[in-house]
Amino acid sequence: MTPLPTTERRPLSDRTFGFLLTLPALVLFGAIVFYPLVGSLTTSLFEQSLVQPGREFVGLDNFRAVLDDQFWPVLWNTLVFTGLGTIAPFLIGFALALALNTRLPGRALLRGAFLFPWVIPGVVVSFAWLWIFNANYGLLNGILFRLGLIAEPVSWLGDPDTAMYAVIVAKTWASFPWIMVMLLAGLQTVPGVLHEAAGMDGAGVLRRFWHVTLPHLRGIIGIVILLEIIWNFQHFDTIYVLTGGGPAGATTTFAVAVYDTAFKGFDLGRAGALGALWLVLLLVLVVVYVRFAEREEQS
Amino acid sequence: MTATAHAPARTATTPAPAATPRRRKPGNLGAAATVAVIGVFAFGPVYWLLVTAFTPNDDVFRFPPRLWPEHFTLEHFANLADNAVLGRYLVNSLIVSTLTAVLTVLVSAYTAYSFSKFRYRGRRSLMSLILASQMFPQALLLITLYLVFSAYGLLNSYLALILSFTTFTLPLCVWMLKGFFDTIPNELLEAAKVDGAGQGAVIHRILLPVSLPGLVATGLFAFIRGWNDFIFALTLAGPAKQTLPPGLVNTYLGEFQAAWPDLMAASLVVSLPVVIGFVVLQRYLVAGLTSGAVKG
Repeated sequence: MTPLPTTERRPLSDRTFGFLLTLPALVLFGAIVFYPLVGSLTTSLFEQSLVQPGREFVGLDNFRAVLDDQFWPVLWNTLVFTGLGTIAPFLIGFALALALNTRLPGRALLRGAFLFPWVIPGVVVSFAWLWIFNANYGLLNGILFRLGLIAEPVSWLGDPDTAMYAVIVAKTWASFPWIMVMLLAGLQTVPGVLHEAAGMDGAGVLRRFWHVTLPHLRGIIGIVILLEIIWNFQHFDTIYVLTGGGPAGATTTFAVAVYDTAFKGFDLGRAGALGALWLVLLLVLVVVYVRFAEREEQS
Repeated sequence: MTATAHAPARTATTPAPAATPRRRKPGNLGAAATVAVIGVFAFGPVYWLLVTAFTPNDDVFRFPPRLWPEHFTLEHFANLADNAVLGRYLVNSLIVSTLTAVLTVLVSAYTAYSFSKFRYRGRRSLMSLILASQMFPQALLLITLYLVFSAYGLLNSYLALILSFTTFTLPLCVWMLKGFFDTIPNELLEAAKVDGAGQGAVIHRILLPVSLPGLVATGLFAFIRGWNDFIFALTLAGPAKQTLPPGLVNTYLGEFQAAWPDLMAASLVVSLPVVIGFVVLQRYLVAGLTSGAVKG
């Protein structure tokens, strides 16, 4: 917008006014994101309780304690959840996007219907799967029992060996629709001419997928996977409602561990230290994402 | 696969030559099979949620469960209606989500107008800053937020929830509205200024009225975000001010652990406004989704 000549009735310049318009958002950002971020990171250097006033400077003691104890198992759980929780919905979402990109009857309706698991509140996702995984009356045990695959009910969420996979299944269910929509939007930009040309050169379906479709989707695939990784790395809702981090800490990821340490253990210092380590790892992912997004925008 | 056919399935504009149907069939069968298999995974849980919510307790609590419902009941929904505590959670959810929508529309409209129509130093940095706020882990922020709200006596208040929800909804809503404002011609706003309208009048009498559909979509989005939130409401609000998501967790995963059909009925009720909202939002959905900021 070209600045108009300033008159006495409009003492503010366009630039100043433009900046002032962002003030409400900046105040919210400062109060709800920036200040709490700095505050929580500072807490990691103190011995501080949620329920008692006062705190004592302890240097890096909290970091030492956390690295000796929780950090490594929590990191492993977070990596498993993030890794499988990204790959599984990606494969399902991609397969579905390819299938819906054909001339299937009713595909617009199907695309909308498939969004349902992603649209509903996160706690409802957890409720539905809690009930399906229920050891005594659950649907999964019922089907496996009828098929003769199990002799007696399995406690999917109560067994440390299966709980994490059960949680990942629930998260996969809630994640794949978004990936499907993104990839479908990308697929629709692949020029039909390219496929025609490749088809005339004798390339089969698989080769055309590999040499035409995939290269064209590279950017969107990268963005989708990186964003999923970043979101899964800090995911809380599904895990917390399904298992609360249990059994025996088998599904305790960073989000659950920081939350529990602060709001159940009341130990803000250790929660801050664990959160600081978590944030550093997260920032690495965010930097990778921003770099990738910028490079894609340029090309 | 032979190289003779020259009309691939994907070009919708060209009429299909005689050779095409024979070639397309296996592809379409594969697509239909893929949709069917993933459909079972996607809609199986939805089906089970529906069946359980409308099945009498006697039929629900048996093993192995019946896959097809035999008896129908509305008793679980009646149980919900009788539960005064759930009514309070519902009212809280409605109040908090509505006010979040109003505040979010106001704040993001000013911010988006600034990003869309003004050029000043630091604008790009500000845009990155707003966008970055969704990248920070909320559990970590909550440690300090809890102490701050506690110090100001704002724990267990609607305000704490509204401010938190609004902040984390802002990035998406600012981007949605910026896209909307970008399509409004500068000449329209300039003309008003030439006619003597002040900066405020340009916003409130010209910009906002012509952007009404965008504002409604943004508000609906913010409402859904507030409605769906779990961790902030769980942490910052006690029983009196709690919204439905943590309220349902506390009610059904605590005391009445066995009331699965009631919980499924409640799940349907909580999901209903969101599903309706998304059907209305369909048009804006893909744009919002591709901005990569919807869920954090």
